[in-house]
Amino acid sequence: MLFVGNRELVVPGKLLAEGDYFAGEGTFIEDGKVFSAVVGLTEIREKNVSVISLQGRYIPRRGDRVIGIVTDTHPYGWTLDLNSPYTGNLMASELAGRKVDVFREDISKLLKTGDAVLAEVKEVDERWRVQLSVGERGLGKIREGRLVEISPAKVPRVIGRKGSMLKILQDTTGCRLEVGLNGRILIRGKDPAKVNEVVEAILLIEREAHLSGLTDKIKARLEGKK
Amino acid sequence: METGKPERLIVNGRRLDGRRPDELRPLRIKAGVLKRADGSAYIELGKNKILAAVYGPKEMHPRHLQQSDVAVLRCRYNMAPFSVEERKRPGPDRRSMEISKVIREALEPVLFLHLYPRAVIDVFIEILQADAGTRTAGITAASVALADAGIPMRDLVTGVSAGKVDGTVVLDLMKEEDQWGEADMPVAVMPRKKRITLLQMDGNFTPEEFRQALDLAFKGIDLIYEAQKEALREKYLPSLEEEK
Amino acid sequence: MKELISSVKKDYLLGLALQGKRVDGRALDQYREVSVERGVIGTAQGSALVKLGNTQVMVGVKLQKGEPFPDTPTSGILVVNAELLPLASPTFEPGPPNEDAIELARVVDRAIRESQMIDLEKLCIKEGEEVWAVFIDIYVLDHDGNLIDASVLASVAALYDVKPPVSEEWTLPEFPVSKKPVAVTVVKLNGVMMVDACLEEENIAEARLTISTLEDGSICAMQKGGSGFFEREELEKAYELARKCGEELRKKL
Repeated sequence: MLFVGNRELVVPGKLLAEGDYFAGEGTFIEDGKVFSAVVGLTEIREKNVSVISLQGRYIPRRGDRVIGIVTDTHPYGWTLDLNSPYTGNLMASELAGRKVDVFREDISKLLKTGDAVLAEVKEVDERWRVQLSVGERGLGKIREGRLVEISPAKVPRVIGRKGSMLKILQDTTGCRLEVGLNGRILIRGKDPAKVNEVVEAILLIEREAHLSGLTDKIKARLEGKK
Repeated sequence: METGKPERLIVNGRRLDGRRPDELRPLRIKAGVLKRADGSAYIELGKNKILAAVYGPKEMHPRHLQQSDVAVLRCRYNMAPFSVEERKRPGPDRRSMEISKVIREALEPVLFLHLYPRAVIDVFIEILQADAGTRTAGITAASVALADAGIPMRDLVTGVSAGKVDGTVVLDLMKEEDQWGEADMPVAVMPRKKRITLLQMDGNFTPEEFRQALDLAFKGIDLIYEAQKEALREKYLPSLEEEK
Repeated sequence: MKELISSVKKDYLLGLALQGKRVDGRALDQYREVSVERGVIGTAQGSALVKLGNTQVMVGVKLQKGEPFPDTPTSGILVVNAELLPLASPTFEPGPPNEDAIELARVVDRAIRESQMIDLEKLCIKEGEEVWAVFIDIYVLDHDGNLIDASVLASVAALYDVKPPVSEEWTLPEFPVSKKPVAVTVVKLNGVMMVDACLEEENIAEARLTISTLEDGSICAMQKGGSGFFEREELEKAYELARKCGEELRKKL
């Protein structure tokens, strides 16, 4: 049986369900019952009970798109800060798209400390070492744009269900966004005023991520500014 | 200025501040009070004013202290120089180091440390104003801060002190009772199942008094637990209320 | 531990500065929201909590009896200590005060000592033997830039909050303070001078200059920090900013 409704605010230790239910994200099982592990909103999809955390650090998962910042250069590539307890590793050959002779070439010409990179998490091993890839088009060193950092837990709201929020942010302002699941978002646009509008909208989403009707609110706000 | 021991600590069933033996001091808890920290909480219990902050999970430095399969929990309990009557020299002393250790051991059981191998979770407890029961109030605030940081937990951890004063078992000792009473027993518990994660005692209890003290402590813990949950909900609830 | 900033963000902030703009929309000579709350800690003789935007600094003042210094036998003692608490920032580590904490304490100390706002001579109990020592403990709780101005403001507020100790040796009607020194820190970002830097601005500033002034516009203390430099004309500009913004800050005391 269920002890909570959908979209209910719960805290760690709250009994959510007993019996024939699956423990989803943000929950744990004890004595055959499902409890909340975090402060968040319940999400009940048929027999799956999850709690969507309202806070928390980013934990890298394969396939995630992230924006990292170079903190260190090592012989074969770079170490990137991912706004996570775990740093990412990017091989020079991966970035260059070819074999790199690290003794002949100065790889800091490709990337140096402080540079921001749009990348994908290629692999996470059992020791939590994270390999990044920039193989796909559009990935790689970020040369221009405005970078915003928000709590990673709120990023799904910036994307929206099936990308609906992202579509509104881009269509109403004419800006392009690259959303890193690790809480970093890149905004590119010709008009600085429009870029500012997007930044303001994102910060608003972060503040009100736990409220409903946000998509309409943001849409109205950005369209009103046209 | 030094004041001598009051002649009696309980008169007509009332303690020096008017409380009955089973009453808690006024309590206030607020979550998310600091901007930089990943999670934070502030607690007032009687004249205690305590701030707790959490950073993490994050990369553990130095590397050689990393644990390959679990996160490390680090706790630092610290008293401000102005938190007590006689100014305290800044920096850790033996008392605060012991307290830091027992606090860490009180919080560890609720955390899923295996979820974050090689990482570290830092808990800082700063006593801004002290009035007895700082370590248990610190634990109470620290567990709210951990939840505020989004760190997964099995339950909160709730602390309170119980003791004996003028032969009577009492809940939540104040400074004078701690100083002049016959027994002081800090307790911390995972409230859902009343699992005890911190227990210390100094003074003298008969086995019966010990049981009474534990009963009182558990009652106090139930009340404080509600306040902790409320503090976490309150951070989001006012806006959720507006929604309706 | 250093803060991490991406070059993309750094370039953005530097570009804004050249346009006379700031990341949070403030003017170059504008402070964030300032709040000063007195009497927050009962165990201290005087205390204050100052908020400068998201920066929070708490100061406790305690009076204790002590021995005077041999060369000033009739003078009370002033001791200023600052703690950059690890809970205030991921870059602050537990341990004894590092050079930043020590510099902060000494800058605050000079602002208070050189302004002579405390009449230390009135704090003598018995010449050569016993005097009152004033301990100012600065507790940084939340770091979002400009700790110096917040710490000086909180320290002065706490001193004005002092209720004298209940003691036979206290013979004065009240705590002997007068004058109100105020510190204003100006940072130079891409050649542009601005006050009350938030953390992001502070992290990319070339240099900073703190000027403490009194009500009459006189300067009682100065400190340059950071590895950049200031031109002569920039010093004039900094003083103007310090005097103007100092007046505004002083109203909060």
